Amino acid sequence: MLQVENLVAGYPSGGRVLKGATFDVAKGEVVALLGRNGMGKTTLMRALAGQLATQGGSFRLDGRELGNCPSYVIANEGIGYVPQGREIFKDFTVEENLLMGVLGKPRLPNRLPPDIYDFFPVLGERRRQKAGTMSGGQQQQLAIMRCLVGQPKLLLLDEPSEGIQPSIVDEIGRTLQAIARSTGLTILVVEQNLDFVETLAGRALFMENGVIADRADRIGQLRERPELVHRYLSI
Amino acid sequence: MQATIALLLDTANFTLALLLVTLGLVVIFGLMNVINMAHGEFFLIGAYVVVAVSGATGSFWLGLLLAPVVLALVGLLVEWLIIRHIYHRFIDTILATWGLSLVIKQGVVVLFGPGAQSVPNPLPTAVDVFGVQYPAYRLFIMALAAALALATYYLFFRTKLGLQIRGVIANRAMAASLGINTRRMDRATFAVGSALAGFAGAVMAPIMSVDPQMGVGFLIPSFLSVLVGGVNSLVGALIGSGVIGGATTIFSAGISQADAQILVFLLAMIIIRFLPNGIIGGRK
Repeated sequence: MLQVENLVAGYPSGGRVLKGATFDVAKGEVVALLGRNGMGKTTLMRALAGQLATQGGSFRLDGRELGNCPSYVIANEGIGYVPQGREIFKDFTVEENLLMGVLGKPRLPNRLPPDIYDFFPVLGERRRQKAGTMSGGQQQQLAIMRCLVGQPKLLLLDEPSEGIQPSIVDEIGRTLQAIARSTGLTILVVEQNLDFVETLAGRALFMENGVIADRADRIGQLRERPELVHRYLSI
Repeated sequence: MQATIALLLDTANFTLALLLVTLGLVVIFGLMNVINMAHGEFFLIGAYVVVAVSGATGSFWLGLLLAPVVLALVGLLVEWLIIRHIYHRFIDTILATWGLSLVIKQGVVVLFGPGAQSVPNPLPTAVDVFGVQYPAYRLFIMALAAALALATYYLFFRTKLGLQIRGVIANRAMAASLGINTRRMDRATFAVGSALAGFAGAVMAPIMSVDPQMGVGFLIPSFLSVLVGGVNSLVGALIGSGVIGGATTIFSAGISQADAQILVFLLAMIIIRFLPNGIIGGRK
């Protein structure tokens, strides 16, 4: 579904962070992208979302080349992006934030589906509340639903557990897994929390110095081959 | 008592006309971070559309209806020809739109001559307001400006298009990643802001001297209104227009125009000195 070939991206000044990443993600897979800070994970996610211009290589979704397309085109082609730090609209209500997820999609109706609050009920309880007043975990749930309501084919999740209390991290992990299983949603997730990765992902890619350096084709290998975790994640 | 009522009516009249120009500036600055120095000339074109149309057809009202349409098209053209190429370069947009304002002003001189034109008052009657005989047309301006300000507020805060525009203002990159075509929002907003300025120029034409310098006379107070009220806020535009429009009218009633201008500038400087982010400050 997603094919990334020798993708190069980095600072607008030309400095490279991503130095030729190559990997595929098949439809319905949940793939974790692991690596230490500064290895290029977030740069890769931003490039795939169209927020950073690519400097070389290409990426395709269902065969369509999307490198250097504007991000609104990429979003409408089916790549949904939940960025690090969530980036919800703090002054908007929960409901307005969710609406933003459909208003930019001409092929979707201009209103929220009735079952929108089934996945994270707390969002329904707070739908008229300003999003900026909610806890970090609730804001993360909102950012995920704002993306999913736009019916992406591929979900890019950047550090969804960062700064969130463990009970909500578990809830988010289980809910995403249920959604992925029932809808066939494909997910590429950057994450430091290995428990979360083991709950959600089917396999893992390891990033080092801007390239995909290694992989674990079953998520169980994170435990069976501790040298992988040690090599790519320990500080 | 009657003098007070007349003064209050004049204040409301100027404030509401100023508000139309200021709203256009605020929505363009808020969304695109472009300071449009040619905004006063959009006001000017609006007035001259009325001069041309009422001269050709004899109908003021047709000119009033056409002015915002013409200015929306001018806005689209200016956005496409100039703004879209430079709107990442803040200082350059000031320079480019200032250059554009000179071109428009001289273009008007070439087409209509440097002298003042007059537009006959389309409603030459007076209405009794609490014992004051007040020109009917000025009341019409007030009602129309208030209605348009409300419509603008409604568009931005009660419609789905307004939600998208506010989303782009709050976080352009994220709005785009949700699929919103931010370029289209820019274009629409620039056209709406330009149309508001053109409409203000058209509606004010019968009570002003229509000449190539009239744009500056509205651009400066409306910039002051934006600064005093608070950048990036429609409510700030309302408060700023009230303060600047009110002070200008009230001071002008007692002293000469020039002295009144000095006092208004002083007032604006004092307010900005103590409230650098404007009266409503960080609130949006």
